[in-house]
Amino acid sequence: MRTGDYKQTYGELVALIDSPPVWLWSAVLMLALIAAPYLLNAYALSFLMIILITVTGALGLNILTGYTGLISLGHVGFLVTGAYAYAILVSKYHMPPLVGFLGAGLVPALASLVVGAPSLRLKGLYLAITTLAFSFIINTVILEMRWLTNGARGISVQRPEMLGISFESDAAFTYLCLGVAMLTLLATLNIRRSRVGRAFVAIRDNDTAARVMGINLHAYKLLAFVTSAFITGLAGALYGIYLSFVSVEGFPFLLSIEALAILIVGGLGSALGAVLGTVLIVLLPEATRLVFSLFSAQLDAVFTTGAQELKSMLYGLVIILFLRFQPRGLVGAWHDIRRAWVNWPLRY
Amino acid sequence: MRNHPRTASLLLAATLLAGGALAADPGITDTEILIGDVEPLTGPPALLGVAASIGHKIAIAEANNAGGINGRKIKYVLEDDGYVTARTIQGAKKVIEVDKVFAMLGMSGSGQSIAVMPVLEKAGIPTVIDVAPVKLLWEPPRKNVFVVGQSYEEGIIHLVNYLAEKNPGKKWGLITQDDDYGITVRDGFDSVVKSKKLNVVYSGNYKKGQQDFSSDMLQLKESGAEVFLAGGIIAENIAMMKELEKLNVKPVTGIFWPGRVEPVLKLMGPAGDGIFAVDYVEPFAGEAGKAFLEKAKPLVSEAEFKGINRYTMSGYAAAKVLIAAIERCGKQPTWACTISELEKTKNVETGVMAPISFGPGVRFSNQKLQIMQADTATVSFKPVK
Repeated sequence: MRTGDYKQTYGELVALIDSPPVWLWSAVLMLALIAAPYLLNAYALSFLMIILITVTGALGLNILTGYTGLISLGHVGFLVTGAYAYAILVSKYHMPPLVGFLGAGLVPALASLVVGAPSLRLKGLYLAITTLAFSFIINTVILEMRWLTNGARGISVQRPEMLGISFESDAAFTYLCLGVAMLTLLATLNIRRSRVGRAFVAIRDNDTAARVMGINLHAYKLLAFVTSAFITGLAGALYGIYLSFVSVEGFPFLLSIEALAILIVGGLGSALGAVLGTVLIVLLPEATRLVFSLFSAQLDAVFTTGAQELKSMLYGLVIILFLRFQPRGLVGAWHDIRRAWVNWPLRY
Repeated sequence: MRNHPRTASLLLAATLLAGGALAADPGITDTEILIGDVEPLTGPPALLGVAASIGHKIAIAEANNAGGINGRKIKYVLEDDGYVTARTIQGAKKVIEVDKVFAMLGMSGSGQSIAVMPVLEKAGIPTVIDVAPVKLLWEPPRKNVFVVGQSYEEGIIHLVNYLAEKNPGKKWGLITQDDDYGITVRDGFDSVVKSKKLNVVYSGNYKKGQQDFSSDMLQLKESGAEVFLAGGIIAENIAMMKELEKLNVKPVTGIFWPGRVEPVLKLMGPAGDGIFAVDYVEPFAGEAGKAFLEKAKPLVSEAEFKGINRYTMSGYAAAKVLIAAIERCGKQPTWACTISELEKTKNVETGVMAPISFGPGVRFSNQKLQIMQADTATVSFKPVK
């Protein structure tokens, strides 16, 4: 008699979706996401857009930090590079948006080689500081290259029209964000179960052992940087389109910290964790405001007029609580619940 | 049969009335009109956002005390964006879609208000912007968006022209921030440098957030600059003036209106005495400023009264213009009527700045500028005759 969920073949182990209920829930979630733009008002829809764009960026960072164990404090540098690449190509040089998106991925990917190469011998805090420095350098370069980037004046960005489809409306743009987020999710899940993904994880767990096994550390670390930056650049392009105006001010350094918080709260090294972490971090202030508004209109007003300070406090509190009580994040909590459900009433 | 035409007319009238009710613009009930606003209420730019919102509150309280807009009380819905662009967009969407306001005021900083333009334009909601007057907000003119104020370029040109006329043949120094604001200040300055052939001996650029200006001010001193344009916003100007005080040099200094707030002068101390500033709102030390403070005192709380600065005046003026336009629409104001009435705004007196006017295709009020000078003894700016 089975007393748990066991994988008996290699195929089962690497399957993207391993059970009919998961297929069913995935389909239900997908249908809900497709219906959402027609059911939500513009305010709620803006949260969905932010979640989908943030999921894309968080999945990009997850490849570098979650899978490969390389901490980046400067991912906002890739985000802003992607946004500027798209804005320059599409708004300034009137290239097709598809070319803009390609550029939004390729330019940060190339930039990641610049920061990745010297970082190959660095780990942990040293790498984190290097990437942090990179994000400041990128901002300075953008501000100084006025002939290309308009400097601090920024560039206005219109909603795109691609393959005859206009993404002008919020609903259409949400579908574009959804499409990119879903493709990114599928790509990162597939990377994780491929030879490359296993090499990333081996480097994360013990890079000396990984090298002994024949993994080329330099090549795989660079690959992780490039892939991560490519995806983050795409998220940057979407974020720039969402903001309708690309300037370095729209991409504060705190976005890098927020992205790390998402991975920690969601569960480091898990694509599902990146998604769950994003949903929690983006919706936490709004959900808290709604709960408090049920009790008092005055509390609701405090959340409205002091939103940013309360938001920072909430983020800090949640990160502390997760690190103390659930270091494996939401995914860890989900696994615990699932195990308890499957094994109940037997604990072991 | 003879009654049919009458019945049909009644039915038609009822349908039209019902249709009219259904088509009514949001944010308006029989007793209330909602006005929304998104401002930086937390973080360092809160000095601007909170003050502007107090100005809106004063105008609203004044109107409500006078019976509201044609019998309807005005309710103010305020949202904090923390000076974060994405949050400004979400905040605007919240007040328009969830709170369903009738009109908008304020709208955060320059980058934030530029980014939120598509949201406002798409919604078609009447909006009067008063915090950050930048050209991209009125060029090209948008049907429903009006801007009260003066452009940063014009402000700098006015200030530099004044200082150049009063200090002929002197050596000039300039420092600006590495952002949109700094570029605007520099552009305005450069245009006067060309026309007046100013002798610029120092031209610096500092990184946003910089606190230590010791090296910059030492270079300024060594350059021998006698007239100095301090292109900081708030804390930077204080740090620059303190540093110059340490170095024992006191060039003729000009600052710009974002820093022309009394708390800045207080923090500068004696170092700030006699500095020149340019603005389009009245100084509190003048008659108009004193009258405004008198008017404001009973209308806001003690804490809010302490938060009043020049942005309160610009916020007040914008709210007055908007309220007057809605009022002119009579008993059933609509967005279309409010926009049309805003466009007809002609020489509206607010008491805190020169009369405000818009016009067909003119969405920028282009306020008259004046020069004022700091007096640290009274912690105030006084108009220069």
